[in-house]
Amino acid sequence: MHIFYCEDSIDGIFTGVYDAWASRYGHADAALTTQKPDNYSLFHEYIHVETDSEKSAKVARTLQTRMGTETYEEICQAASALETPSKRKNTRNKADAIYKTIVLALSLPDSSKVLNYLGEPYVNQVFQLSRSTFNEAHHLLGFLRFQELENGILFAKIHPKNNVLPFLGEHFADRLPQENFMIYDENRCLAALHPKGTGFFLTDTQELDPKALQRYSKEEQEYQKLWCRFFDTIAIEARINPKLQNQNLPKRFQQDVVEFQRK
Amino acid sequence: MLMKLQMDMDLMEKLTILSDAAKYDVACTSSGVDRMGNGRGMGNSVAPGICHTFSADGRCISLLKILFTNECIFNCAYCLNNRDSDVPRAAFTPEELCTITLEFYRRNYIEGLFLSSGIMVSPNYTMELIYHTLYQLRNTHQFNGYIHVKAIPGADPVLVEKTGYLADRMSINLELPTADSLRLLAPCKSRNTILKPMRQIQNRITDNKQELILYRKAPRFVPAGQSTQMIIGATPENDYQIMSVAESLYQKFSLKRVFYSAFVNVNHHSMLPALPGGPPLLREHRLYQADWLLRYYHFQVSELLSEDRPDFNIFLDPKCDWALRHLEYFPVEINRASYQTLLRVPGIGYKSAERIVKARKRNPLNFDDLKKIGVVLKRALYFITCSGSMMYKTKLEENYICENLMRDKTQIPKDIRESGYRQLSFFDKELQKDFQLTDSQILDEMASNCHSS
Repeated sequence: MHIFYCEDSIDGIFTGVYDAWASRYGHADAALTTQKPDNYSLFHEYIHVETDSEKSAKVARTLQTRMGTETYEEICQAASALETPSKRKNTRNKADAIYKTIVLALSLPDSSKVLNYLGEPYVNQVFQLSRSTFNEAHHLLGFLRFQELENGILFAKIHPKNNVLPFLGEHFADRLPQENFMIYDENRCLAALHPKGTGFFLTDTQELDPKALQRYSKEEQEYQKLWCRFFDTIAIEARINPKLQNQNLPKRFQQDVVEFQRK
Repeated sequence: MLMKLQMDMDLMEKLTILSDAAKYDVACTSSGVDRMGNGRGMGNSVAPGICHTFSADGRCISLLKILFTNECIFNCAYCLNNRDSDVPRAAFTPEELCTITLEFYRRNYIEGLFLSSGIMVSPNYTMELIYHTLYQLRNTHQFNGYIHVKAIPGADPVLVEKTGYLADRMSINLELPTADSLRLLAPCKSRNTILKPMRQIQNRITDNKQELILYRKAPRFVPAGQSTQMIIGATPENDYQIMSVAESLYQKFSLKRVFYSAFVNVNHHSMLPALPGGPPLLREHRLYQADWLLRYYHFQVSELLSEDRPDFNIFLDPKCDWALRHLEYFPVEINRASYQTLLRVPGIGYKSAERIVKARKRNPLNFDDLKKIGVVLKRALYFITCSGSMMYKTKLEENYICENLMRDKTQIPKDIRESGYRQLSFFDKELQKDFQLTDSQILDEMASNCHSS
C-alpha cells in the first residue's frame, strides 16, 4: 500500500488526490492521510505530498464541473473539518475518505449524486464531516460577535473546532460590504480580512498586535450595554431555563459571545 | 406631561420598557427568504434563518424583537400593555429605532428587526409610524436585512400594503383560537379585524408572485410569507379545536407558520386562569410537534385528534401516539417503502426519510446505516424491518411498544421534565384517567424510568 501524507487543508488534500491519481498505483493500492504516521508499518510506503496550488486548482476545477457546486462545497466542508482520530479500526481518516469518495464520484454517470450513497462507509464519513463543519459554521454565523475598534474596524474572535473561516468570510463579506472587518480564529492563528468594498482573504496572524485589538471605539461599550440589557429583558421569567439555554448555545461558544461575558 | 416624560427618557430606558413589553410575542424566526447583499448598504438574508443567541428562557433570539410603543388604546385582558394596566410607557422615534437596529446588526447581534406595537392614538397613526421606520431603514440606510412587522388590526389596507413592500414577513396575531374567546378577552379586537388584513396580505402575496413571473425585478411583497400566533391555555379550547384552526389557517390563508404561546398570567385578571404551576409548556410542546406533522409529514388533524379524543397524549409525542393506534401500517420495510410511508414511522424525520430513499438505490441499508443516517432507532425499531428482519425480536403489540416507548425519556423533553413535575397537572384529568393513573402514580412511573435508564 502506498500512503500519501498530505497537509491538513483543502489545498493539501486536493494535491494529495492529484498525486495519488497521477501515481498510477491504482486506487486499491493508494491511500491518503493527513496525520503523521507514528509507527511506520512494514508493508506501507509513505510518500510525502508537497502542497501545490496548481495541482489543487486542477482537482477543484474537475470536481466543480463534474459534481456541481453543491456537492463540491460539501467536499470542501469535509476537508475543512477537524480530523478526529477514530477508535474504530475500519473507519478511514478524513483525507482518505475524501479520496475514495472522489474516486467513486468520478466513476458514476452522475457525480453530483455521490453523497446520496450513505451506505458506503467512506461516503458516510464525508457526509458526517461536512455536516460537522456546516453546523459549526452555521452556528457561528449567529454566535459570532463583532466589536468596533478605535479605528472603526469590526473585530471578531472565534475558537472553532473546524476550519470555518472561509465560509464565515464569504457570508460576512456579502452581508457587510461597506465595513472593514476581521474575523480571527485564535485556535489556528488565522484571520479572514475584509477591506471595505472588496472581497475577503485569509491570512496568517503572526504579527497581530494584541493591544491594538483591545482599543475599542467610544460607542462600543454603549451598544454592548444596550444589547445586554435587551438580552436580559427579553427572557420570560416564568420560563427561565438555563439548561435549555446551554443546550442551544453550547458552552464552548459562550467565551466569545459578549452577552455571556459579564460577571 | 406624558410627552415630556418620553423626551427625557434615554435610549436605555426605552429599550428596556419596549423589549420587556414585546417578550410575549413568540415568533423570532428570520426564515423564509434568501437575499444576497446589494453591495451598498448592509444586510442579506438566509432562508433557513439564523439564531444569534438564546435568552435565559432558552428561546432563540434572531431579531431585535421590540415594540414601537407600549402605549395602547385597547384593553385586551391578557396583555400587559392594555390601557388599564399601570406600567411605565415609552415610545421610540423612527430614527432611534433605525440607529439601534443598524448598530446591533453590524455587530452581528441580530438578523434584523421584528417590529410590533401597542396602538397609540389610532390604528392608522401607529401603522404610519411603523411604515416610516421601515421606509427609513430600507431607503435612507439601505438596510437589506430581515424585517418582520406586525400589521395593526383596524389599520387602513393601503398602509398595510405599503408596509408589506418593505417587510420580509408580516403577521397579525390571531391571539385566541375562537371568536368567542376573543370577544371575551379582547373586546376591542374582532375576528373580522384580524382575518380581513390576513386575507388581504394573502391575496397580495399571490398577485405579487404573478408579477414576479412577468417581471423579475418587480418589488417583492412579504417574500417570507405570513405568520400568526395563538395563546394557549388562557381559554378553554381543547387541542383538537386549536389544531383545526391551525390547519385551516395553513390551508385557507396559506400561512407560513402558526405559533403557539403558552399563556403566562401577567395581569392576574379575574377572567383568566391562575395557572399556579406556571405556563403550560408541555402542552405547547405537543402542539408544535403536531404542527410539524401537518407541515412536513403530510398528516391531517383528523388523523391525530377527534371529538372523542380532543387532546394530545401527554406521555407520547403525536407521531408515536398515531403509530400505536395504527399498527396495521407496520412494520415498514426500509428498503422498499415509499417516502410517504417512511415519513409516518416514529424516529424517522423528513430529512432521514429523504436520505434513505436516495441511499438505498446503491445498496440495501442495514440498521447500522440507518443509525448513521440519523434515524432514532430506539423509537423506530418497533416499526421497521431492514431486508426483511427486525432489529430485535419485538412484538407488534400496542401495550408492549407503548411501555417501551415510555421508557424513552426524551418523550417528555428534558428541559420541561426538569422544570418540575407540576407540568403534568395542567392536563385534562380525563386524560389521566385514560391511563388509569393518578398524579402520584405518574410521578412514581417517571421517577422509576429515570432510574432504569
